[in-house]
Amino acid sequence: MGQFIQLFVDGLSNGSIYAVLALAIVLVNQATGMINFAQGGMAVLSAYATWWLTEHGLPLVVAILVSILLSFVLGGLIERFVMRRFERGDPDTAVVVTIGLLTLITGICGWLWTYNNKQFPSLFSLKTVDIFGAAVSVRSIGTFLVIVAIMLLLQALFLGTKLGLALRAVAINPQSAAFSGLPVGRLLMAGWGLAAALGAVAGALVAPQLTLTPGMMDSALVYALAAVILGGLSSPIGVVVAAWLIGVLENLAAVYVHFIGYDLKVAVPFILIFVVLIVRPQGLFGRKVVVRV
Amino acid sequence: MTLLELESVTASYGPVQVLDGVSLSVPEGGAVGILGANGAGKTTTLRSISGTVRAGGRILFEGKDIRGKRPEQVAALGIAHVPEGRGSFGALTVRENLRVGAYLRRDRKGIAADIEFLLDLFPNLKERYKSNASALSGGEQQMLAVGRAVMAKPRLLLLDEASLGLAPSTAKVVYDAIARLRRESGIAMLVVEQNANLAFRLVDSATVLETGRSVLSGTTAELKGMDEIRRAYLGG
Amino acid sequence: MSSITGFLSRAWVRWAITAVVAVALLVVPLLFSEYTNQNLARIGVFAVAVLGLNVVMGYTGQVSLGQIFFVGVGAYVTGYGATHDWNIVVVFLASVLVPGVIGLVVALAAARLGGLAIAMVTIALPIIGVPLAKRLSDFTGGSQGLSSAFSNAPDWTGLYNDQWQLYLVIVIGGATYLLTRNLVRGKYGRAFAIVKSNEAVAASMGISPYRYKVLAFTVASLIGGVSGFLYMAVIQFTSPETMTFSHSITLLASMVIGGAASIIGSLLGGAYYVLVPQWSNDINPNLTELLQGALLLLTLFLLPGGLVTLPREIARRLRRSRPDGGPERRQTPSAEPAPGREAVEETPTVGGIPTQRPTERQEQA
Repeated sequence: MGQFIQLFVDGLSNGSIYAVLALAIVLVNQATGMINFAQGGMAVLSAYATWWLTEHGLPLVVAILVSILLSFVLGGLIERFVMRRFERGDPDTAVVVTIGLLTLITGICGWLWTYNNKQFPSLFSLKTVDIFGAAVSVRSIGTFLVIVAIMLLLQALFLGTKLGLALRAVAINPQSAAFSGLPVGRLLMAGWGLAAALGAVAGALVAPQLTLTPGMMDSALVYALAAVILGGLSSPIGVVVAAWLIGVLENLAAVYVHFIGYDLKVAVPFILIFVVLIVRPQGLFGRKVVVRV
Repeated sequence: MTLLELESVTASYGPVQVLDGVSLSVPEGGAVGILGANGAGKTTTLRSISGTVRAGGRILFEGKDIRGKRPEQVAALGIAHVPEGRGSFGALTVRENLRVGAYLRRDRKGIAADIEFLLDLFPNLKERYKSNASALSGGEQQMLAVGRAVMAKPRLLLLDEASLGLAPSTAKVVYDAIARLRRESGIAMLVVEQNANLAFRLVDSATVLETGRSVLSGTTAELKGMDEIRRAYLGG
Repeated sequence: MSSITGFLSRAWVRWAITAVVAVALLVVPLLFSEYTNQNLARIGVFAVAVLGLNVVMGYTGQVSLGQIFFVGVGAYVTGYGATHDWNIVVVFLASVLVPGVIGLVVALAAARLGGLAIAMVTIALPIIGVPLAKRLSDFTGGSQGLSSAFSNAPDWTGLYNDQWQLYLVIVIGGATYLLTRNLVRGKYGRAFAIVKSNEAVAASMGISPYRYKVLAFTVASLIGGVSGFLYMAVIQFTSPETMTFSHSITLLASMVIGGAASIIGSLLGGAYYVLVPQWSNDINPNLTELLQGALLLLTLFLLPGGLVTLPREIARRLRRSRPDGGPERRQTPSAEPAPGREAVEETPTVGGIPTQRPTERQEQA
């Protein structure tokens, strides 16, 4: 029982990181209709920025905040100067552009900081606390709580503020939004910036666990994409629930399903996808996928 | 006093010339119609004003040429475009749609008062206030589109084919409400309409476009008296 | 320009060129050094892999990030069969069919999602493939990998190994190219193109987008298997490293940089896959990925059709910049169909931002 609780909480914590990245992907998709495969790579760059700042004497929390801010700016600039050209065109080309971005950003990280692992300081204590007889790490609980707080903030932003309303309006119908005087270009940049800032949070939370390398987020990206497919692109809540489900299930499978083990647990979300596809082609929570015309 | 003046406006989509010298003017508080067959350039005329199409010639709003401005800049000047097909934000509620319309405004009280006014003007919207726009009927969506434009407190409303896809009785209700809106708010209007009978319920004068050129203009009464107008646009 | 194309279109000229190319391909392995032959053979191997990717991505418009996985599976099946002394024909068939069946199963599920989901699912193939290959060590040799010298030159030929292997690549790869060329230029190719340009139109014409996506993906996997067989024949060793995520991305970059939806582009892509990393590793291994990302983005910005369109693009620029080009000027609209077509379409923009999205939003409007 103790082991089960421990696996469950750790799974929620991992799932939370996938959830943040998945939310970033959904945010960009809602705003521009594309899937940003560079979201993980951008998060790695943010993590390197945090690491670099701590190496230069900044306290970790400050470094994370500065990096979030920088990521916001970088995300906006990428939208403006790289992606905007491809937003009107074929979505498949846009995907290839984001893959090019992923390669370029990973390459920049590798060039500036080499491909060797770097130790990244943890925001939370590595101690464990006793919950119902299970030793649960403070880091897992902390990660989970941070993510929940972020989701509440995002919810408040989108439903309770003028900026959130404007972002949603631009995502739905940019032309009408412009007719009402909304600065469409700047709002699209803000959407990408927010997504990049979310990625920065994910990067800072996952880096202590995995140690920092340019390819650190590759598998997190795969999990996040799986969560997006399972949750449905139109449903932020669905995506988060799917990410938690994936995190918990893969952790349980790693221990209790002999064949899977720790090395193959990345297959779990995709086995899940195959099962779900047979039962519910529109994802767990999403509406039916509309055929692109 | 002239609010909007178009002088020999031209526009093209790539190599295809769509506007080839459109001239018209809208006085302060006036309502002017644009009549013409499909493809005559009516919609493109509105688009060239709101900045979604690059235009040649001169487009003067309060005496200043507004060509080359982006749509959001044109909106900020006080020109609200109700696009063909309504352009509702389907996943937003009626309330949120109206709030988006008021994006450029800061006066909370004024916004609340205008929402009150609109819900009185379009009682249907009052009933559907919390529903998503995508759940509204065509007529209700048209009312919402006009409402959204009015929320920006414009000086000039560009209205594109408000009757499109509506049952004749619904179209009449919509046009009568817009006419009341005009009387009570004094907003000037430039109205594109295929159905001249409807347009004449609202406008004082109109311009007829043929293949991207203004060929004729006059007051409502003058136009109603012309044989060719009756034959072409009034159904006999 | 037009006189050249006219010349090329004459039947006897085409036959003559084909004959010259065939003879050249037969003679080349005998002329070059071992190093060159090996490099050429590797280029052939990956040109076939890129060709497969082109079938699903270039011709049918479905982004696949899993092609390298099928190459890896083909290589493993070849290695396993060869080390267990299967008949070489059986080895070849198995190395093609096993990836093909896996590809079919994956596509049957992934294509149901539509849109970009195929990209989102196939990205998992290399990420799962690597640990899976390590796990199935009874078949794959685990992290150590699998080697087999089944493709050494038989004594009766009197050839060196590198020459024999290059012949294998030329014959099998060449046959794959010819078959694929016929596929994409025929009835199926037209269906692929329609699915790529507009799924709703395809459906209205009785072409099921789902079925043709599955078909294209399966064909790509089969061709990936061929590439895997040739990989084992040329390199004689495979390990989980063969199908890593970064190789998968390099393969995709090769396809785009070579030229999407182009047979020649696939060849150029193979050359890119082999030569550019070699070259950038010589400069600085830490720069390889950066250079690749930059090259891919530059291609997308400046030469969206890939290297294969470079001559056409240069010719167009030259013609445009020629000051006395009165008569040529008039030809340009027909010479550049892409911008012309875009211009005719009515795409209102909002501050340079497209206002028409290929999503359900239009319907809500």
